Amino acid sequence: MRPKSKAIVSTVLAAVLLGSLLAGCSGGGGGGQAAGGSGAPSNQPAQSSEQPKAAGKKEERTLRIMAGVIGGKTPEENALFEQEVERLTGIKVKWEKPASDYDQKLLAAVGAGEKFDLLQISKEKMNLFIEQGILTPLTDKVQNSSILSDPNVIPTAEWDQLKTKDGQIYGVFTKYQGGTMPIVRADWLRKLGLKEPVTLDDYYTVLKAFKEQDPDENDKDDTYGLTTAGMYEVQGFFSAAGLKQRYVEIDGKLDVPYSTDAAIPIYQWLNRLYEEGILDPNFATNDTGKMRNLFLSDRVGMITYWDAWVGMLNNTRKQQDPNTTFEAKGLPGAADPNGNHMLRRGDPDVWVIPVNAEHPETAWEFIEWWHTKDGIYLGSLGIKDHDWIENNGTIELTQVGQEHNMDHGVPFWYNKNVPNPFGLLPGVQEAQELLAKYSSLELTPTDRWSEAEKIINDYSFKAIMGQMPAADAVRKMREELIAKKLIDQ
Amino acid sequence: MKTIWKYRSVYLMMLPVFAYFLLFSYYPFVRGFIISFQNYRLIGNRPFVGLENYRTVLGDSSFWEAVVNTVIIGGGTLIIGFIMPIVLALSLNEVLQTWFKKLTQTIVYIPHLFSWVVVGGIWIMILSPDTGIVNMILKALGAEQPVNFMSQPGTARWVMILSAVWKDMGYYCILYLAAIVSINPSLYEAARIDGANRWHLARFVTIPQLYNTMKVVMMLNVLSVLRIFDQIVVMRNGAIAKQVDVIMYYTYAKGIQEFKLGIAAASSFVLIFMTLALVFAVRAIIRYDEG
Repeated sequence: MRPKSKAIVSTVLAAVLLGSLLAGCSGGGGGGQAAGGSGAPSNQPAQSSEQPKAAGKKEERTLRIMAGVIGGKTPEENALFEQEVERLTGIKVKWEKPASDYDQKLLAAVGAGEKFDLLQISKEKMNLFIEQGILTPLTDKVQNSSILSDPNVIPTAEWDQLKTKDGQIYGVFTKYQGGTMPIVRADWLRKLGLKEPVTLDDYYTVLKAFKEQDPDENDKDDTYGLTTAGMYEVQGFFSAAGLKQRYVEIDGKLDVPYSTDAAIPIYQWLNRLYEEGILDPNFATNDTGKMRNLFLSDRVGMITYWDAWVGMLNNTRKQQDPNTTFEAKGLPGAADPNGNHMLRRGDPDVWVIPVNAEHPETAWEFIEWWHTKDGIYLGSLGIKDHDWIENNGTIELTQVGQEHNMDHGVPFWYNKNVPNPFGLLPGVQEAQELLAKYSSLELTPTDRWSEAEKIINDYSFKAIMGQMPAADAVRKMREELIAKKLIDQ
Repeated sequence: MKTIWKYRSVYLMMLPVFAYFLLFSYYPFVRGFIISFQNYRLIGNRPFVGLENYRTVLGDSSFWEAVVNTVIIGGGTLIIGFIMPIVLALSLNEVLQTWFKKLTQTIVYIPHLFSWVVVGGIWIMILSPDTGIVNMILKALGAEQPVNFMSQPGTARWVMILSAVWKDMGYYCILYLAAIVSINPSLYEAARIDGANRWHLARFVTIPQLYNTMKVVMMLNVLSVLRIFDQIVVMRNGAIAKQVDVIMYYTYAKGIQEFKLGIAAASSFVLIFMTLALVFAVRAIIRYDEG
């Protein structure tokens, strides 16, 4: 290229780059306000790019919804799901349910300017979105709603999970979120003449028996007492020291109970299980799928998982072999010296209305309907005449409905006025009763949590696998959390 | 301009490819650069915050931990992943049976075709402390306790490095074998006449003739060595996260998990600048532009 042409091309490229940089000054919506450090949350609510509809102008009854776990199991069934919503509510719905990578797709779609009327997100994401000021406040709507403010539909105390520090509500539950607990092979307990464990010593005795006494009677030394998916849901054992998982807030200060001296005996107990081969050595690399499969294939006698899965595990084995003696049962966790148990409730999923929703009133109408019988049946049993049929007033599941396990995103719900027509799967009732009796809510992770969790996991694994004495691990965990200002001293 | 007009049909054929790269590479690149200077929100205004995101990233100790992990794992993969394909290619070159040579080439190339989901799953299974074949062999050789390769900080990085080398060495081996085939046979004849044995032939004829291919392989590796991600996502777990989380994982965590896209964009551009610096440095050291 000639020097002159080279110079022209270089100048044009430089101008394009400079223009791009200057475009950054204008921000995304016009107006170049400097909002301070990037770490400081924006306190200015995002403005909708469209003007609110003129008073008196009726909103079109159509919705665009994005959901991760609610909807049809396949694209074809999802289309039926849309039609069913329209049939039941008269609302025309475009229901987008990505097959995978929901967070990434949600981020890409909303960040690219796509307008949704409703999003189904976790409480953790809801907190992030509230921080960004992109959600419509729903406090007044909830309080004035005859459906949602009915304690039989959603217990009043449950709303505390969703309220911000200033008492505002930005999301509404999509379902009842249960909790986690140790789940044991009750049939193995009976076979080996063991009682349900209460204290950590009882748990050790039971788990050791599962390991050593060949409960599956295959003459092979191939069973473990306990397996987990890493540190996932082991709070049922920390219950012996009265310790909650994740953060706790005391007098406005954040702390991590697992990093206190009270946790040392629990780590020592877990280490003992690991050293004696009672704890599956693959526990650190297991995912939840592998953990469940080990339990279902008679390789392990106890896992730590969700109350809903007690029923699903029983149901799965029953479907494979109607004559099976397999029985999964939820346990209340290890008792502390005062005989108290502590279990954890999971973070709920919520419906939220973004600030740029084009049909916010219709979205609210949908949310209220979601907690009525029609909405609950759709979210749980599924689509009428596809997942279930009504035969002389009796509801029957079709083959498809049985395969879908009565779960289209809502395996359980709050509304006491809508009983489950089939009852709960075996073991779930008892598990939920344990949660009702012993569970407590946890603080939903803040933006500091992911870094804190890495440190906690690092030292927890070191303590459990004997790479470091438990006392040292806890001390170093705490030092590092304090040094990085992840807990408040 | 005359040249462009003369070859206008060729340039026209290039347009779709150019458009593809413009749309899927350069535009996202420029948008990402802009986002790295913004307090990015999903909806609403995104005010310009200057270098604040970069200051946040560079002041974050987790980022620097990720840099250390990236340098160690990436550097280890670069060095061992550079040497092993050469050793493999030279070894295969000495094999006389063509069928065995071709069979081995195919087998060593296959892992390169698999995604990290498959390769990672395979290695997690192979290294399992109770049912994995490696620990079974160690037990047969007299080891008292199994080694938990995937959960011990001391072995985690080695697992990442060696599995990455294993996955890709077949691909680079093929490049070297292709270069070896094109070496002038008269060089070997002349060396034999001078009394060279097989080792001398490899050391003084084959390897020097591979210098240009080595430069290309080195540059390809250097371009990608800091961007490791898939392997880490598949093979990491809570016990080894501190030892193996790399810069791209930090970027993913900030962007996708925490929805802090401004910070994620800034961290990705820090990575780009580091890669640029590394490429220029390596290019100068290996004298890439010299024949």
